[in-house]
Amino acid sequence: MHEFSYAQALVENALRIAESKGAKKVNKVVVEVGSLLLINPEQLRFCYEVVTKNTILEGSELEIENTEALLVCENCGKEYRELSSMCECGGFLKVERGDEFVLKRIVMEVEDAQN
Amino acid sequence: MHRIEVEAEVDLLAENKRLAEENRKFFRENGILAVNIMGAIGSGKTLLIEKTIERLNDLKVGAILGDVVCKADYERVSKLGIKAEAINTGKECHLDAHLVHHKIRKFEDVDILLIENVGNLICPVDFDLGEDLRVVMVSVTEGDDVVEKHPKIFTIADVVIINKLKLAEFVGANVEKMKRDVERLNSRVKLILMDLKEGIGLEEWIEYLRGEYVSRNSG
Repeated sequence: MHEFSYAQALVENALRIAESKGAKKVNKVVVEVGSLLLINPEQLRFCYEVVTKNTILEGSELEIENTEALLVCENCGKEYRELSSMCECGGFLKVERGDEFVLKRIVMEVEDAQN
Repeated sequence: MHRIEVEAEVDLLAENKRLAEENRKFFRENGILAVNIMGAIGSGKTLLIEKTIERLNDLKVGAILGDVVCKADYERVSKLGIKAEAINTGKECHLDAHLVHHKIRKFEDVDILLIENVGNLICPVDFDLGEDLRVVMVSVTEGDDVVEKHPKIFTIADVVIINKLKLAEFVGANVEKMKRDVERLNSRVKLILMDLKEGIGLEEWIEYLRGEYVSRNSG
């Protein structure tokens, strides 16, 4: 279950940040997922639900922003949207975009500042 | 109570990348050739490690064996009298740089460290361990479409081994198709056709590995 470790890393970090801000409850977590990671969003959501149980993230919304893959030929600069290692010119392809897994934003409830 | 939105921008794969770099530095400083052996369940990874240890008896070889639960692979390999460590990944389907990081200090004095990943062609792809060489092992009995069905792992491989060659005719696998699929995905790859039980391809693998070890330690 590939998605489980991703969900775990996501939740650990979101929890750390939310706690450092003194959050009482987290409403939403936004994550950027590159298409090259082949993460199944439904499985990621399911794992997220499991991992957030009994934390201040329980019941929060998981918003997944997908990043399309972009590979560029190191030789001629031709762009590709699908995974491959070679360009038709014989050059090698470099991944420019699409392999990221980034915790972007967290929406949370915090106590009003005491006067 | 009020609601706030916090910009986080935490790269969740960064921690693995950082630890992988630390592992890589450790291997380089100690002159170790680290080899990440990935492949499907039952493709012959553990047997390859056993045969490699037997053949490279003039070098000091160590092994880390990753498995989901039991220590069967570890027990097989440690019988050969080399330094070996088991990693149980529990629910995880792959090794990561962190799991390996905990084990490598014990291998400071080895020349070649063979790291057997969990049997899986999907999940190990995104987790750099800090290795020098990535080996992907498949066998003809997994079906001759195994390469095209798991393209990503073949694009990151330095070496692809197609094992159990002698069984191809019995399971109706087209080895030429498998070869073509590998070459289409990765033209840089070192492709070895093998039948470990028959000893086919073993020599080529050993020579390749020895060559890599020598070239990395003579620079």
